[in-house]
Amino acid sequence: MTEPVLEVDNLQVTFPTADGDVLAVRGVSFDLRPGEVLGIVGESGSGKSVTSLAVMGLLPRTAQLSGSVKFQGDALLGRSEKQMMPVRGRGIAMIFQDPMTSLNPVYKIGWQIIEAIQAHQDVDKGKAREIAIDLLTRVGIPNPTERIDSYPHEFSGGMRQRVVIAIAMANDPDIILADEPTTALDVTVQAQVLESLRSALEVTHASLLLITHDLGVVAGIADSVIVMYGGRVVERGQVDDVFYTPAMPYTSGLLASLPRLDSDGSERLRPIPGSPPAMVDLPPGCPFAPRCPLSTDICHEVEPALVAVGGGSVEDRTAHLAACHFAEDVFAGTVGPIFAATSEDLEDAGVEAG
Amino acid sequence: MTDTELDPAPNGSALEVPNAPLLEVRDLVKHFPVRGGSIRRHKIGDVHAVCGISFDLEAGRTLGLVGESGCGKSTTGRTVLQLTRPTSGSVRYDGTELSTLDGRELQRMRRQIQFVFQDPYASLDPKMTVGLQIREPLEVHGLWTKTSGPKAVADVLKQVGLSPSHVNRYPNEFSGGQRQRIGIARALILRPRLLVLDEPVSALDVSIQAGVVNLLEDLQQEMGLTYLFVAHDLSVVRHICHRVAVMYLGKIVEIGDRADIYDRPTHPYTQALLSAVPIPDPHKERARKRIVLEGDVPSPINPPTGCRFRTRCWKAQEVCANEEPALIERGQGHPVACHFPEIDRVVG
Repeated sequence: MTEPVLEVDNLQVTFPTADGDVLAVRGVSFDLRPGEVLGIVGESGSGKSVTSLAVMGLLPRTAQLSGSVKFQGDALLGRSEKQMMPVRGRGIAMIFQDPMTSLNPVYKIGWQIIEAIQAHQDVDKGKAREIAIDLLTRVGIPNPTERIDSYPHEFSGGMRQRVVIAIAMANDPDIILADEPTTALDVTVQAQVLESLRSALEVTHASLLLITHDLGVVAGIADSVIVMYGGRVVERGQVDDVFYTPAMPYTSGLLASLPRLDSDGSERLRPIPGSPPAMVDLPPGCPFAPRCPLSTDICHEVEPALVAVGGGSVEDRTAHLAACHFAEDVFAGTVGPIFAATSEDLEDAGVEAG
Repeated sequence: MTDTELDPAPNGSALEVPNAPLLEVRDLVKHFPVRGGSIRRHKIGDVHAVCGISFDLEAGRTLGLVGESGCGKSTTGRTVLQLTRPTSGSVRYDGTELSTLDGRELQRMRRQIQFVFQDPYASLDPKMTVGLQIREPLEVHGLWTKTSGPKAVADVLKQVGLSPSHVNRYPNEFSGGQRQRIGIARALILRPRLLVLDEPVSALDVSIQAGVVNLLEDLQQEMGLTYLFVAHDLSVVRHICHRVAVMYLGKIVEIGDRADIYDRPTHPYTQALLSAVPIPDPHKERARKRIVLEGDVPSPINPPTGCRFRTRCWKAQEVCANEEPALIERGQGHPVACHFPEIDRVVG
């Protein structure tokens, strides 16, 4: 078995604020194998973006981190900016949601790609420019020899994101970390960008850590998936296992609340009541319990650990894991539809019950 | 819920004239001037936002206007309500031409046509209690009385699934989904017949979105409402709309019943659009045919001649550049604006 390129073990991130400590990430563990595509899904505030920023060492200095992050066996947490430099770009390349935050508006895109190439490779400017044009071709920019001398504002949003992907590919990284890379884009543009991302993976053989809230995108591209809620991993497994036999009520609820393109609309949607928890002063127990119709006393008292369902073992990295006291029942489908097909406003329900 | 189940509206007021469309839009055009020049600003062109679109909307039904950013769907919604006046064309509501009405007459018509905005954070006044915002339309239309008013506000809050005790709260005390319900309550207080909904759920988290979608379905059944539903999310549109019009660069390229568009998409753009929407089902999603379009949407200031989609279309021939395809029935059972129509079941 090949060694993982990235190992995250019991990662915790806390932000001290005036209102108390915000526990953004509470004990997240996962690993990424060479060539693997891992999707991290969750709603706003679930801790998925903070996890990715912690991996890259991009959190503000006020953040308190513990646990370990290893890239090819070497620890990343606690490294200085200087020590991170060989990793960023060459080891792990990052793609952000808004391409305008990664591209500098006052430089031509060619300059920016060449800068990235020369940061890690000993090539002259002419050679770097050739590489840059080749990269732009690969991500599907028409007329790359001319467009290389354009400024970011001369590109559409989708084209800019493809330029960012070209920069991410520039140094043949081992991991591409993409945080909501297609969220702000129209669907046909999203399809173009995902296509560019797929070709980037083919060329570089990099692993992809894809952070998104779109379950459809994960279904199309990921091998395995992590579902985050309340700063924790609440479900993890191969994409098929998690999508077809979810074992955590939250995952099951997310899937049932989505209107689907391939359904004729005759089924009522099933919303999840309540809203995600505030990450200050989390009550004991399962963070999803206030919104969960299955919750009983134990759910409000004891936070469930990630356990393997369907006869798997926690040690097996491809096992299907879920953090729920009723994981086996949810997994087996014996509980029936968990959420009601209602149109009521359910957002205060959790607060009132608790 | 199937189309046939939704069809009859229980309380009859919306269905006084059977089969006559409640809303008839004909050859609607909206241009916005583009100004340029360095010292004296002068008009240098027009953004052709909406370019001659026509559709009917029957009482008690939902028409979805779909398309990507800049296709003119929101401008169409606003122009129907005369929030911006059309450059030309006609908008008839229940037999009355709206585009020539003056302000006072238009205000009277707006008792029957209301608008729900996309962003529930921007469309509510943060300094005004929810109760005052919901009753404001009643005051504007001279319908507010101390005796019946408070009850009307309480009733409409209940109808959108909120507690009547919330009237004295401010918008910041509510979540996004609840704010959108307040926006819907404000539109419903006048008991309108037609609602124009501009991306009503796209700002909400998925788990919250489902409740608002269900609410809109219930309200339509209870009150016999007619919806013009402007959205970019084709999955939501399939769920909620009876008819769907697909727009590209200011034109409708294909229009039909929900099953026509999703099961028998005929225009190449509709096919590309549908094939790009991800389905949260790994086996299906990986086995699907995907049409990835080349390039970007052309500028609406100087749109292509002939068919506007031809610059990105894999079927384009010379005729597409010379002759604009009309939106007519071409043998697939619903109108499509393409010289080379052919059904391709991309949804799978």
